[in-house]
Amino acid sequence: MDVNDTQGNGPDQEPTVEGPQAPAGDQPTAQQPASGGPAPKRLTRTRGDRIVGGVCGGLGRYFNADPILFRIGAVALVFVGGAGLLLYLAALLLVPNEGESAPIAPGAQGGNRGWVIAGVVIALLFAFPFLLAGGFLFAGVGIPFAVLVGAGVLVWWLVSGEGPSGSAGEIARRAALGVAVVIGCFVLFFVAGFGAAAGPDWLVPALVVAAGGAIVAGAFLKPVRWLVPPAMTIALAAGVVAAADIDFDGGVGEREYRPGSSVDLREHYDLGIGKLVIDLRDTDLPKGDVPLDLDVGIGEARVIVPDDVCVATDAEVGAGNIAIFGRDHGGIDATYENAPTAKPAATRLVLNADVGMGEVRVHDSRGERYFDPRGFRPFHDEDPELSGDQPVACVTTG
Amino acid sequence: MRAGPDIRALVAGLAVLALGGVLLLDALGPIDLTFAVIAPVASAAAGAILVANGLSR
Repeated sequence: MDVNDTQGNGPDQEPTVEGPQAPAGDQPTAQQPASGGPAPKRLTRTRGDRIVGGVCGGLGRYFNADPILFRIGAVALVFVGGAGLLLYLAALLLVPNEGESAPIAPGAQGGNRGWVIAGVVIALLFAFPFLLAGGFLFAGVGIPFAVLVGAGVLVWWLVSGEGPSGSAGEIARRAALGVAVVIGCFVLFFVAGFGAAAGPDWLVPALVVAAGGAIVAGAFLKPVRWLVPPAMTIALAAGVVAAADIDFDGGVGEREYRPGSSVDLREHYDLGIGKLVIDLRDTDLPKGDVPLDLDVGIGEARVIVPDDVCVATDAEVGAGNIAIFGRDHGGIDATYENAPTAKPAATRLVLNADVGMGEVRVHDSRGERYFDPRGFRPFHDEDPELSGDQPVACVTTG
Repeated sequence: MRAGPDIRALVAGLAVLALGGVLLLDALGPIDLTFAVIAPVASAAAGAILVANGLSR
């Protein structure tokens, strides 16, 4: 970057991009050539339009462009291994301040400038690989933060109708208020979701309708646009709860049941949030159909059956996975139905499982070792041992 | 007294009202919401609010 690079301005070109010319008779300065012709266009760091060192402001003035473009570019380059940071530092050292002839770096003028520039370039080449990892690390934090700030500006624009204009401080203030709204809505999402899952089904939807009515009425009287983000947040939370069919009946926690006989085995098990395990391996089950209903709001419903029991399954998961004897059926609004016929005199477990968000798992003793949390591999469709086959007690696969 | 309704607020209010109506129908029983239904409905409501904001500027 040649800081004193002239643009070869002719008489018909703009004479200068910097301050007023020195009065006639004054000694020529760095900004005014002794020849008396138009002053060369010089790259300097601005004093008035600066956020850090005035580099981007100077570039904007030099290229007659909005400095914000250079600022965005510099920030973007920071994420590329910190190159933007290094280039900015280099410009800070080599480009003089507005109205000054010498840059910050000692010796960066006259014949030494070439050496200084070469030194900076070499430093960049050496430092870049080390900064690359740091850049990616920084990107991992910086990009989500940038997205959050962008969301904040968007939210503030929606709420107040004020776009991102004005000084950097004003934009930052609006972005901060927008981020506060985003965070508030994030908290509200969970509160409303909990209320929708734990309270009466109609309560939260009725609140949303009331908020919508208030916003419509306000449109004719006094607009209450601030009510839109919380109303939409509550509606989204209620929508997720309704779509996943989440309810918190049965409480929260980890429940494991090992009934000794069919008398101890309930027909229906409920859990709000957590893990529900029904282990039937030691249960003395009668021949014929044995019904079992499981209802989990958020979490896992897991059934472990004896090897000689056939299982008929009707499972629904709002968002998550259904793993039946090692075969996965995952996604949104996932369902799985399979009603195989049991061998004569065998037990058939008729399972009806409903999980809002999470997983339904059914397996026998073949699969138990694969679920051991101490480090066995998970089920896999291609696993030759666990190909989704029903237990030997089934005659057909349904 | 305002000369006319605030279009942005009116569209936003109607979108929220529609979304709340769908949720209420699910809660009271006539429909059974799934993600396949609520996702496009919510997106349409949010989109209507954004479009109204953009156009009335």
